[in-house]
Amino acid sequence: MKRRSFLKLGGAGMATAALATTGLITWIPRAHAATISKTFYITDGFITQPDGVNIYFKGFSSTQGVLNVPGEQMVVQEGDTVNIRIVNTLGRRHYFTIDGLGVNTIRIDPGASRTLSFTANKAGSYFYHDPSNAPYNRLAGLHGGFAVMPKDRDDEVYDGSPRFMQQYFWLFHDIDPVWHNAIRYGNTPNTQYVPRYFTLNGLSGRPPGAPGAMDPSIDSMVDPRSALHGHIGDRTLVRVLNAGLCQQSVHCHGNHVEWLTDNGNILPDVWLKDCIYLEGDMGKCDLIYPFESPPDAHPPVSVGAYPMHLHTEMSQTAGGGLYMFGAITDIFFE
Amino acid sequence: MGRRRRSSSSDDSTTSSTSSSGSMDGGGGMGGGGGMGGACYVYPASPATPGRVTADVTYSLGIDMNIPMTMDDGRTVNMWGFSDGGGNMMDGMGGGGMGGAGGTFPSPAMRMREGNIVHTTLNVGMMMGVHTIHHHGIEPAPHADGVGHITWDVNGSYTYQWRPSHAGTYFYHCHTNTVLHAEMGMYGALIVDPPEGAGTLHSGGPTYDVEAFWVVDEIDTSWHTLPWTAGTCGGDVGLHELNPDYFIITGVDGSGNSAMNLPPISATVQRGQKLLARYICAGYHPQKMRFGGLTGTVHISDGRVLPNPVQVNEIRACSGERYDIIFEPTERGTFLIKTDIIHWVTGDVLGTTRTSVTVV
Repeated sequence: MKRRSFLKLGGAGMATAALATTGLITWIPRAHAATISKTFYITDGFITQPDGVNIYFKGFSSTQGVLNVPGEQMVVQEGDTVNIRIVNTLGRRHYFTIDGLGVNTIRIDPGASRTLSFTANKAGSYFYHDPSNAPYNRLAGLHGGFAVMPKDRDDEVYDGSPRFMQQYFWLFHDIDPVWHNAIRYGNTPNTQYVPRYFTLNGLSGRPPGAPGAMDPSIDSMVDPRSALHGHIGDRTLVRVLNAGLCQQSVHCHGNHVEWLTDNGNILPDVWLKDCIYLEGDMGKCDLIYPFESPPDAHPPVSVGAYPMHLHTEMSQTAGGGLYMFGAITDIFFE
Repeated sequence: MGRRRRSSSSDDSTTSSTSSSGSMDGGGGMGGGGGMGGACYVYPASPATPGRVTADVTYSLGIDMNIPMTMDDGRTVNMWGFSDGGGNMMDGMGGGGMGGAGGTFPSPAMRMREGNIVHTTLNVGMMMGVHTIHHHGIEPAPHADGVGHITWDVNGSYTYQWRPSHAGTYFYHCHTNTVLHAEMGMYGALIVDPPEGAGTLHSGGPTYDVEAFWVVDEIDTSWHTLPWTAGTCGGDVGLHELNPDYFIITGVDGSGNSAMNLPPISATVQRGQKLLARYICAGYHPQKMRFGGLTGTVHISDGRVLPNPVQVNEIRACSGERYDIIFEPTERGTFLIKTDIIHWVTGDVLGTTRTSVTVV
C-alpha cells in the first residue's frame, strides 16, 4: 500500500464492523530478520450488505471491540520470527493456521489465548484462517491474507520473479446468508450454497450516486486497500486470494496483467492476461498490473481510471440485483 | 470528458453537477424508481468523441431487443443483441416495436488489422434503454472503454475510437447492467489480424488454412423476460444465480447435433492443413473444452502471444478468456469438440456443447 492511500482512511468505523487498516504491520524493506508480533481477537457481529441486510460474521480482528473481515493483512520477510497471538473472545472453540508455510495449527478455547510462533521460510502469498469445521469457519469470516517477501528482495514475489514497485492484496469472498445464519447458531448448513453477496477485501462496490459511493469505508472501488493507484511504470503486485466457494474470473481493464503464480505454483512462463481463472475454496494467484500506457488508446492516454471486476458477472450483484454492488474496484492511472 | 465520475483530477464543478444529475437520472437510492425508465445509477449521455480522427475501419451498431432464438427442443427464447447498421435513431419506435430490428445472436463480428484506427458507433434508439460497447481485452482510453454506470450509458449515438495493438481474438459486449445484458446475448466476436492479414495468426507467427469460431455460452431462460433495468434499483431479480437450461456454441443450441456440421463452428480440414480455432468463453460459469483426441497448440491467449506455445488436449477457461489454438491433424477422422459448462460452486457439469472437426 502506498502511504498516501491509507492516510486517507478515517478513524470512524461502523458500530459492528470496521476496516482492518494496513498501518500496523506494513512491511518495510530491511536487511536483517526481525521479530514480528501481532494479536488477533476472534470477534463476531453483523456487517450490513449493500441492500441493507445485516449478515452475521466472525473475524480475526485487530482490537477487541471491532469485527474485521477479512483480518488485517500481514507482510513479513523470509527469516523473520513471527509470533501471532490469538485471543478467542467467543463461546466456541476456534483454530488458527497459515496454509503452505508448514506451521502448526493452534487451538484456542473459548476465552483463551494461544500464540503461534514460527520462522517465515518461504516467500509467497498465503491465507491465514480457521481450518476447523471447513469451510464454515473460514466462510464465516475467519480468514485473512499473509505474505512473505523473499529475503533481501523488496521488489520480487519470489527470488528472480518479475519486479514490482508496490503491492496490494485482493481477497475475494462470497456470502450465503442462510449459511451464515446457520453458522451463527453453531449449526452445519444443510442447504445448497447460494451466495448473494460478493466482496473484495470485505467491501463491495457502489456506482456513482449510490449511498456510500466514494466512502472508502463502504465502497470497494475507492477502498485504499483495494483500488490501485499508480503512475505509468508503477508496476504493482496484487496477491489475489479467494476465501469464498465460487470460481471466479479476475478481469482487469486498462492493462493486461502478468500472471506469475497459480495456487502457489510459479508458472513456467509469464502470460499476459486480461482474465485470470481464480479457483474457489482458497484459490490464489499473484499478478503484476504493469501500469503501462493503455496500449489501444488513440490518441494515447496516460491518466484515467479503469475498473477491475470479476467477469463471473453474478458476482457483480448484491441481494439478487444491484449491478455494480459486488466485487469490483478501480485502477487509477495518476 | 467530465462524465468520468471517479476522476480524482478534473474540475470540482463537474463532479458536483454530475452527482446531482446522477441522482436525477438514477432516481435516487435503493428502490427508487422513475428516471431513466426505472433504472438507477445509469448516466445517459452521448458526448462527442475526444480526439476524433478519421477512422480506417468503422462499425455502426444498433440495438435489437427482440431476437427470437429457436432451440433444438422447439422452444423460442428471446435474445438481445447489436444490429448491423443501426443508424436509424427511430428504430425503437419503428416496425421492430420495442425491440428494434436487424439484430443477430451473436452480434456481428468485427475484424480489422493491428494498427487500424477503429470507430465503433453505437446507436441507441429512443425506446431501447441505454447500453454501451466494451471491447473486451482491448485497452483504450477510459472514454472509449464503454463501462456504463461509472462513465456513461449511451442513449443516442456515441463513437468509441480505438486502435488495436495486438493481433488475436477478443469480443465486445454491452457493459450496462452487464450481468443481464451480456447474458441476454449482447456480444460479438472481435478479431484483430496482424498486418499480414487473415491467414497469419500474428506477425512472425504461424499461418492457418481454415478457421473455426467456438464461442461457448450458457442461457438461463428465467432471466430472459427481465427488463433491461432489472435489479438496478434494488430488489431480488435473481441475478446472483445463473441456472442455465441451454448451452450455446457461437449462437447455436450446442447440446445436440445442431453445431456438429455447421461451419464456421465445425470445420473440415485436409491432412497437412492447419486449423485455427478461436475459443471465447462467453458464459459466466467456468468451462472445460476437450478436443476429442486432437492435440492443439495454443499460441495466443487473451490477445497476447505466449512466450512459448503450449500443446493441449483440453483447456479450461473462465469467463471472458480467449484461446487461439492451431491444430495440424495427421489422422483422418471426425473429432468431437465438447465443452462442459461447469457450475462455479459445485463443479458439476451443467451441460455440454458439441461441434466437430473432420479431417479428410
